[in-house]
Amino acid sequence: MQLTISNLSKTYANGVQALKDVNLTINQGMFGLLGPNGAGKSSLMRTIASLQEADTGAIQMGNINVLKEKDAVRRVLGYLPQEFGVYPKVSAEMMLNHIATLKGIANAKERQTVVELLLEKVNLTHVKSKNLGTYSGGMKQRFGIAQALIGNPQLIIVDEPTAGLDPTERNRFHNLLSEIGENTIVILSTHIVEDVTNLCSDMAIINKGEVVATGNPNDLVADLNGKIWQKTIEKSELPAYEGAFHVIAKQLKMGKTEINVFAEHQPAEGFKMAEANLEHVYFAKIAERSMAV
Amino acid sequence: MFKEIFLFELRYRLRRPATYFYALLLFILTAFIFLYGGGADKVNADSPFYLAMQLGALSIFAIMVASAILGVPVYRDIEHNTKAYYFTYPISERDYLLGRYFGSLLILVLVGLALPLGAALGSALAPVFNLGDNAERYEGFRFMKYALPYISMILPNFFFAGTLFFSLVALTRNIFVNYAGGILLFIAYILALTLTKDLDNKNLVQLLDPFGLTAVQEQFKYLTPPEKNVFLGYFSGKLLINRAIWCGIAVALLLFTLFRFDFQRFISVKLSKKALKAAAAEAIADAASNSKPFVIQKEQNAKPLPSVSKVFSSNFYLKSMLSLSGLEFRNILKDTYFIVMLLAGGLFLFIDGFYASSTYGVSDLPMTYNMLEVQDFNFFFFVLIIIVFYTGEVVHRDKSVNYSNIADALPVPNWMIYGSKFLSLIYVVFLIGALVIASGMLNQIIKGYFNFELPLYLKGLVVPTTKRILMVMLAFFVHILVNNKFTGHIINVGFWIVQSGIQQFAQIDYNLFFFGNTPQYRISDMNQMGHFWAAQGSFLTYWLALGAILMLVGNLLWNRGTEETWRQRWALAKERFTKLSGATMAVLVAIFIGSGAWTYYNVSVVNKHLTSDRTREISVGYEKEYRKYLNVAQPKITDVRIDVALFPSNRRVDVTGFFVMVNKSGQPIDSLHLNIASPIDFNDITKILINGQVPQKIHNDTIHKYFIYRLPKTLMPNDTMRVEMAMRAEYRGFPNEGIGRELVYNGTFFDLNVFPRMGYSVQAELQSEKYRKKYGLDIREFDSPLRTDSLGLKTLLFNDDGDFVHFEGTVSTEADQIAVLPGYLQKEWTTTEGGVARRHFQYKQDNVMDLFYNVVSARYAIKRDTVTQADGKPLVIEIFHHPKHTYNLDRFTEGVKDAVAYCSKNYSPYQYRQLRILEFPRYAGFAQSFPNTVPYAESFGWVADFSDPDKTDYAYYVTAHEVAHQWWGHQITPSFTRGANQISESMAEYSALMVLKNKYGVDVMQNFLKYALNQYLQGRGFESKSEETLLDNERGSYIWYQKGSMVLYALQDYIGEEKLNTAFKAFAQKFALKETPPFATSEDWYGFIKTATPDSLKYFVEDCFEKVTLYENRIKKAEYTDIGNGQTKVKLVVDVKKLYYDKKGNQIGEGRSKDLIDIGIFTEDGKNSKGMKQKMPLYLQKHWLTRGEHTLEFTVKGKPVKAGIDPYNKLIDRIADDNVINVEKM
Repeated sequence: MQLTISNLSKTYANGVQALKDVNLTINQGMFGLLGPNGAGKSSLMRTIASLQEADTGAIQMGNINVLKEKDAVRRVLGYLPQEFGVYPKVSAEMMLNHIATLKGIANAKERQTVVELLLEKVNLTHVKSKNLGTYSGGMKQRFGIAQALIGNPQLIIVDEPTAGLDPTERNRFHNLLSEIGENTIVILSTHIVEDVTNLCSDMAIINKGEVVATGNPNDLVADLNGKIWQKTIEKSELPAYEGAFHVIAKQLKMGKTEINVFAEHQPAEGFKMAEANLEHVYFAKIAERSMAV
Repeated sequence: MFKEIFLFELRYRLRRPATYFYALLLFILTAFIFLYGGGADKVNADSPFYLAMQLGALSIFAIMVASAILGVPVYRDIEHNTKAYYFTYPISERDYLLGRYFGSLLILVLVGLALPLGAALGSALAPVFNLGDNAERYEGFRFMKYALPYISMILPNFFFAGTLFFSLVALTRNIFVNYAGGILLFIAYILALTLTKDLDNKNLVQLLDPFGLTAVQEQFKYLTPPEKNVFLGYFSGKLLINRAIWCGIAVALLLFTLFRFDFQRFISVKLSKKALKAAAAEAIADAASNSKPFVIQKEQNAKPLPSVSKVFSSNFYLKSMLSLSGLEFRNILKDTYFIVMLLAGGLFLFIDGFYASSTYGVSDLPMTYNMLEVQDFNFFFFVLIIIVFYTGEVVHRDKSVNYSNIADALPVPNWMIYGSKFLSLIYVVFLIGALVIASGMLNQIIKGYFNFELPLYLKGLVVPTTKRILMVMLAFFVHILVNNKFTGHIINVGFWIVQSGIQQFAQIDYNLFFFGNTPQYRISDMNQMGHFWAAQGSFLTYWLALGAILMLVGNLLWNRGTEETWRQRWALAKERFTKLSGATMAVLVAIFIGSGAWTYYNVSVVNKHLTSDRTREISVGYEKEYRKYLNVAQPKITDVRIDVALFPSNRRVDVTGFFVMVNKSGQPIDSLHLNIASPIDFNDITKILINGQVPQKIHNDTIHKYFIYRLPKTLMPNDTMRVEMAMRAEYRGFPNEGIGRELVYNGTFFDLNVFPRMGYSVQAELQSEKYRKKYGLDIREFDSPLRTDSLGLKTLLFNDDGDFVHFEGTVSTEADQIAVLPGYLQKEWTTTEGGVARRHFQYKQDNVMDLFYNVVSARYAIKRDTVTQADGKPLVIEIFHHPKHTYNLDRFTEGVKDAVAYCSKNYSPYQYRQLRILEFPRYAGFAQSFPNTVPYAESFGWVADFSDPDKTDYAYYVTAHEVAHQWWGHQITPSFTRGANQISESMAEYSALMVLKNKYGVDVMQNFLKYALNQYLQGRGFESKSEETLLDNERGSYIWYQKGSMVLYALQDYIGEEKLNTAFKAFAQKFALKETPPFATSEDWYGFIKTATPDSLKYFVEDCFEKVTLYENRIKKAEYTDIGNGQTKVKLVVDVKKLYYDKKGNQIGEGRSKDLIDIGIFTEDGKNSKGMKQKMPLYLQKHWLTRGEHTLEFTVKGKPVKAGIDPYNKLIDRIADDNVINVEKM
């Protein structure tokens, strides 16, 4: 099964164009959606998750017309929004049970098994009967993950899922995702490049509503191999360098500034070739777009 | 820092559109109200009285604004989470609180100016637009009229309520307490109102009412209309104390808040102890699980998620909807404030039920219908607030806790979520219904009433519950439509206020126009839900269909996902508009139109609904067209025989009358003027024969129901003719309003107006002077002619169609009912007509009676007593009662017995051998005396709780009053002249008072006279024409009942009961059963009274009968010293004042002569043999006192406790409370 997004555009009432002619093909497995804050990731995900309309374009998943057959999408969907709330006066177990019912698991026994297992997987078993209102941010996030995974979803959309999780829990979640991801379309949005590197076989970089790059992370990195040049300079020199070269990233390092420049060949004396990584791809693609604008 | 915080608050507020919105809303609302104008006929619409009352009431409504403005200044830091850093700034708690508080308070106070300004604008424009036909009732602008309500009502109310809200939020950090606080305030106010029903609580209530409205009302209560128009001294006395108390409480509250409040507590996470413990345990558990070494754990977590079977069927959705609605409902129930509001509502219901239905300070037993009816009045506001707020919570819950991001993407259809939310609110509605039952039954248990009628409770809840569901539907729709919680609340509450405002001010009562309206109905023990289902069902179907349409549209517009623009919502709605929703919509619209059409057909086609304007126009037309026949000569009825066939289940009666008429007019009569003035909606002549011939109808006016028949042969003076008239009276379909009490399933009661009256009827004229002017009718001071008018003297006051007559008749009814006419039962038999058994009764009056009869039929039980009168004649007393109403039967019997004995001893013999009291349903609240037959409303003593001996036994008293009418009204029949009404009503009151006094002792009188005085003073305070004297009054019931009873009671006290009764005996002897004119006038009556009055008291009867006289006596000081031997010396300082008023209510002079007034000194109250509180006088004498202050000294035996001037309130005294004070030791 494949998810195909074609020519998707969306402009909000306040004039912000959230999506500009987005075209993507997403296969089973983990798909990373990378982009800076406000790039349109959440808009895209909400649209796939049936929560938002598109102005133009189409989304097709197998034989489901996602934009029209909302109900069909919802039946196979697991969705973890970037921001979400809970009923504060209901326990996690009761809430998950309830959501399992809503997701169509009519058999009480099945429901119970699933809920218990999920609670265990997200490490909430010991607080399952506590009211959700008493949960800490991380616990709430884990609850969110659990609810998304109920009911064997064929399409899992997780929006910034690891925000607020400590490294242990983040790891645990990544494991959980990769375990599921094999026969399922998992769309993972994040602005943490490392997440994508670790998990995804396929990805897209999105900026200002547009897809600026797609492909296998390794391929994208490979494209940049030999084109990333690094130099440590004084902070005062930066404007001059930015004027002269295609600076895709700069970073303070022990009082000096380390810049990364994208160039086919060594741009100047003192630059040394750096090993390309996904972060470079990300910065290069975003910087490219910014310059074009 | 205070200054900066204060100024920031001000600037912030001034930039918020809401501030202006509130001010504008109040301004427009007030202007609108004053544009229409209120007050009474003689009280200006911009009088100090009306301004104080109306602006005071509006300031209560404006408490919502106070809560919106002063509830949030502190909450803002919680809501926007600025508390996280705001308090790290170098500011003190005091500056923070006071800055926010005063900044917002200043804004609130300024917003409050909108009320007087709106009133001023409305009043200024009112005469220009003249919307309420009130143009003359605006006096014009005077600054103090507007300033005083602002200072005395609006400012203190805002200050108190604002401080309360501010403090609650600052201390609890929860905005919701605002609502709860508002509700509690409101409860306090309503409770205060409930308690005022008992006059004993009057002083306390004036202080308890946090809004001061009862106190301001008291200030104006006893002022006459012209005084109400000018009085500006009301910000004093109890009102001033009230304001001081509540402002003091506010200051204390503010200080407490300042003292309690600290930043750390304010920002700390609010956790209960239990939650804290749980959090600690959780931290340990977390630490434990995290301490495990973490490896990539494909293996550890290898247990794969099981695959599950999923079901997506409508059936399953339906089941889920139910379980989800349970979850929603639990969410509501777990809200503390919901519980608080619900309990507050329950408390309110309970207290209102506890004091339900009181007459003369006596409560009814907690009958189920009383317990049900308390939900129809102020409880509405609780229901409204609970429903609107929790509909808002439910509709917006997922969004406001951000759960919608998850929930909206779940694979369930909209209608399931939507339906579950709606269902949870229906549960809330049922919960409210359960609350009504619970509070009712609790009341019943506490009062020892164990007749629990659960089925009746359920029946009585059907309509209110349906209306609440309608309210939910509307609230739901509005909340979805506007998609903002706060705006949704405002629009919802505003809708109900505006809707009721339109009905009230624009005088539109057409129920099909007002969402959720149904005609009034009433549950009665006798008639249960009676005939009311048809109308309720039809209207409710109509509204439910509309509600369902709203719900359907709401479903289409349901906010799922993040789209909030109207364009997108519209597009989504179109997408969701499936064939099924289309078909549902079509069905609903069809039901809506169908039931609407059916209802319209009933109220406007079958029953011709009339607007208020149209009703007045008909009266005007009647007067203009037919006033010329005012004195048209008509024959007088001398013999009546009626045949009545009652069909209670069909609410129909066929009645044929055989009348013998004689021309007593002295001139030839060639036509018969018949005018139907029946309260029964359909009442027509089906047949008329005059001397066996069908007369020619020469005038046929079906609008004013005025018909003229040409007599087959001119009726010469003293000639006789026979008229046979058949009538059919019935109710058809159902009307827009109106109980239609005359013909009901059980408890039919109607009178002779089922037949047409002869000639023009003054009673049908338009009374209101305001509208008479509008329609160009002249203003008449009196309807009845002078006491010397020859026509008036030979006409009877209550019926000009006949003098004394002979009466007999038969009446048939359904087999299980007993039907009664005046007269003695001759025969009773049953027949079967078309397989249906019918019961027949024949009655005959064997001596003459005045032309006044009635028909009654119900399923009665009868309590019979036969007593022997003083002259040896037997008297049969029959109490026809609802079988279950056996509580007070002896009081009725006793009342009859004692009143007959008293009246026959003191006036003249009783003209009949029987007297019957007949209960009829509580659709009306009166008792009425027909010859030897007294219909008596269900609510008027049958179920009263007389267990407290200090409360007036009004069942006994009213019975005595009605029995006394057998003399005063039926034996001594007043003539149709000015002031003759007093002969009937004042004398019946007097007789009943004497009977009451003889039975219960003199101590019962004061409680009774207190009510009489209160009603008299209030009555004259709202006199819409003029206050006439006892000699002239022909309209004011407060004069013939209350003033009459007080004056005659004082008179017998002053000149002696026996002496006064000799005069009445002489009067009765002259006029009793006098079949030929002239009939009695008030002058005749007064003449006999004067002969019994010694010269020294002439001034007193003149003051009482010929003038409007009010005392303002008071005691200023009372002191005593012990002089040994158990004796004390008492010094009293009293002030005597007597004022005269003209009939418009203007004071015209002060009494300067000597007055005879009681002076009394009392020790501790005792109890008399009936367990009733009794005053124990150490000294009680009448003193001749002149105007002004007097110091009196007495030596008495015993310990003086209280002393006073006119301590028993025998005189009409404008301020009765200051007549008695405690005696202080010198």
